[in-house]
Amino acid sequence: MGTEARPVVSLRGVRKVFGDNEVLKGVNLDVGPGEVVVIFGRSGSGKSTLLRCINLLEEPTSGSVEVDGIRYEAGPGNRPRRSAMREIRSRTGMVFQDFNLFPHLSVIENVVEAPVTVKRMPRAEADRLGIRSLEKVGVADKKDEYPIRLSGGQKQRVAIARALAMQPEVMLFDEPTSALDPELIGEVLAVMKDLALESGTTMVVVTHEMGFAREVADRMAFMHEGNLIEEGPPAELVGGARDPRTRRFLEAVL
Amino acid sequence: MQRLVSLVAVLGALSVISACGGGSAGGGDGGDLLQQVKDAGVLRVSTDPAYPPQSFQTESGEFKGFDIDVAEEVAKRMGVEVEWQTPSWDVITAGNWNGRWDLSVGSMTPTPDRRKVLHFSPAYYYVPAAAAVHETNTNITDPETDLDGKMIGVCAACTYEAYLEGSLNIPGEYEYVVDDPQVKTYDTDSSAIQDLALGDGARLDAVMSSLYTLKEAQKAGTPIKVVGDPLFYEPLAAAIDKEAPADPQPLVDEVSKTIREMHEDGTLTKLSQKWYGIDLTERQGA
Amino acid sequence: MNIRDRLEARSAHYSFRAKLAVVWILIFVALAVLFAAFRFDTAFMLQWLPFILAGVPLTILISIMGILLAVPLALLGALGRLSRNPVFNGISGFYVSFIRGTPLIVQIFFIYLGLPQLAQYAPGPLQGLFILGTITSGVLALGINYGAYMAEIFRAGIQSVGHGQVEAAQALGMTRTQTMRRIVLPQAIRVSIPPTGNEFIAMIKDSSLVGIVGTQELFFRASKIGRQYFQNLETLVIAALIYWLLTSIFSYFQGRLERRLARGYVREGGGPHGH
Repeated sequence: MGTEARPVVSLRGVRKVFGDNEVLKGVNLDVGPGEVVVIFGRSGSGKSTLLRCINLLEEPTSGSVEVDGIRYEAGPGNRPRRSAMREIRSRTGMVFQDFNLFPHLSVIENVVEAPVTVKRMPRAEADRLGIRSLEKVGVADKKDEYPIRLSGGQKQRVAIARALAMQPEVMLFDEPTSALDPELIGEVLAVMKDLALESGTTMVVVTHEMGFAREVADRMAFMHEGNLIEEGPPAELVGGARDPRTRRFLEAVL
Repeated sequence: MQRLVSLVAVLGALSVISACGGGSAGGGDGGDLLQQVKDAGVLRVSTDPAYPPQSFQTESGEFKGFDIDVAEEVAKRMGVEVEWQTPSWDVITAGNWNGRWDLSVGSMTPTPDRRKVLHFSPAYYYVPAAAAVHETNTNITDPETDLDGKMIGVCAACTYEAYLEGSLNIPGEYEYVVDDPQVKTYDTDSSAIQDLALGDGARLDAVMSSLYTLKEAQKAGTPIKVVGDPLFYEPLAAAIDKEAPADPQPLVDEVSKTIREMHEDGTLTKLSQKWYGIDLTERQGA
Repeated sequence: MNIRDRLEARSAHYSFRAKLAVVWILIFVALAVLFAAFRFDTAFMLQWLPFILAGVPLTILISIMGILLAVPLALLGALGRLSRNPVFNGISGFYVSFIRGTPLIVQIFFIYLGLPQLAQYAPGPLQGLFILGTITSGVLALGINYGAYMAEIFRAGIQSVGHGQVEAAQALGMTRTQTMRRIVLPQAIRVSIPPTGNEFIAMIKDSSLVGIVGTQELFFRASKIGRQYFQNLETLVIAALIYWLLTSIFSYFQGRLERRLARGYVREGGGPHGH
């Protein structure tokens, strides 16, 4: 891609070692403004870890992470800076496979929790913002329910609204539909598609939903044994992958 | 930061609770103990209200008995009111009251060990120590001979235990007449008496206690009987903590003087007649 | 049809509750017989019942103050045990271990008799803080003692909150303290409330130990009157029945509280059911 604006996410040489197991082997990744990147690959390939390194839920063993100009250097000789960590996290929104809604809070309380606690936003303002986020994902009518009363699809949409309410520069999705019953997957993917195509949200998505990837992604990146080995626009990659490992995986899943 | 806040909250709560209890302890300044009592207008007296007729509580919670009357008379002559405290007996006799109360009028025997930590007034009366057996018992009639080798119940660390061990160490001459007793000790005389009541020889053959404690038990329907004459008379006195936060000596002098006056003007004799039916204010026998 | 079959057939007509009621009634009848066999002096018991009952408010006061002190201590203890700060963790570990490893009665005496020994080292106005009254000593001892036991309850409560909750909070940019206070603790406390109620009920009974330093609570009154009139058994039976009644009342309210708390975690109205 040409010489466009500064990337929102920029990973350089990110390594992550768990004990003897090198899960990430020095990954570079740039995500530009408004870009949708889908990371795919076998389970255990390191794609979730890579995503979690972007908002530092996993601290890289070495390498650097930069989000919206905030830089975090990992590795020996670099003391982890908690403030930079939190800065990065408040600029990224994350959606988990298991939703991780706060069960003791109502839907709207889930959504306004971080704006009020982290950004010190007045409650009334946070409420307005929260309602807007819920409207965007189509669950505003459930705002006073508790999470236990929602379906899986509704839960995941609330989780998306919760992340959006922090007005992040980039949204991270970690297998957002894997825990859903098949008939509920569609409503979540529809919301994600709307975010990508209508709102121009910058997104990094780890998913097995190849249909979604082909339709929505600007770029797909194939992860294999801790390395990003091939990336490109869906149209080029599907059917035209150069690396035999990418080809084999795509043949298997498509 | 939040942790600090909650820590401070806990400490705050603690100090509020402390303040509720600590308030009555009477600050360290403001002269000697007697002066503090007079300033407060209150004499705090400890008593163990489980021993009629010397100290007990009525259904309505009022304190009554010989000790109670003596203490109230002492306070009256000092021009102050009595406030009762009920710590356990061993806490009273151990001294180091830390200013929680001022005076014990609790029929306490001035033993040398207690003298190490407490000041004593002159004795305000003398109580006969006697032995009792179960009412069905027939073979123990004279404690001077029949108690030898028997299982005898007494309160722990009290004068009766010391007597049976031959180590009574209080003013006066004593003759130890019980040979080789098996001594079983209890937290109070009352527990020993209730154990004796289970039956002759069930757990105990006899109990040694104050004659009046034994008589009171008999009166309450406990199946025991006093045998023979009293074994000895013990002097009983008021006590004041030597380690009191304020100088205790003037209060000791004042209480001692008052008790001597009460001996002389017949007040103590009158109170003894009222509660015991006889005059116990002079040393007798033994 | 043999007798057993016939009995079973008849039994099936009656509900479990009815049978349970019959069992309870039989137990009470047996107790009444036993009571009669002891030949208790009921006139004496009735005479002194009001005096002993007058200790109930103090017993309840001591227990409530005790639990109010125990909760924050338990919370600090639990946070300390989970903390990565060695000082905080060490102190909490010692607190829980030492207090759980020593008898409550020793702790009561230590606070009542031992603490004043330190007063001499304190500046004048603070000395009163060391010389505590009997009630204060008792409340402090009960609070500290139960705080140590409840620290383990709270710790289990905190650990029962899934790691996903912590990650979700951190992903939103919340600090560790914010995560603990806003997300983990509210959920932990909710699961800790029922066992805390149990501890409170146990504390009502343990408050009897405070009588030993001379607090005129329920047990103190019962035991003094028992000694005074040489009828310990009678007065202790009264005390036992009153403690039983008190704990039954609080158990009832605790049951209701538990059902109410469960409500927020239930899908549709009605009783709690797992899924």
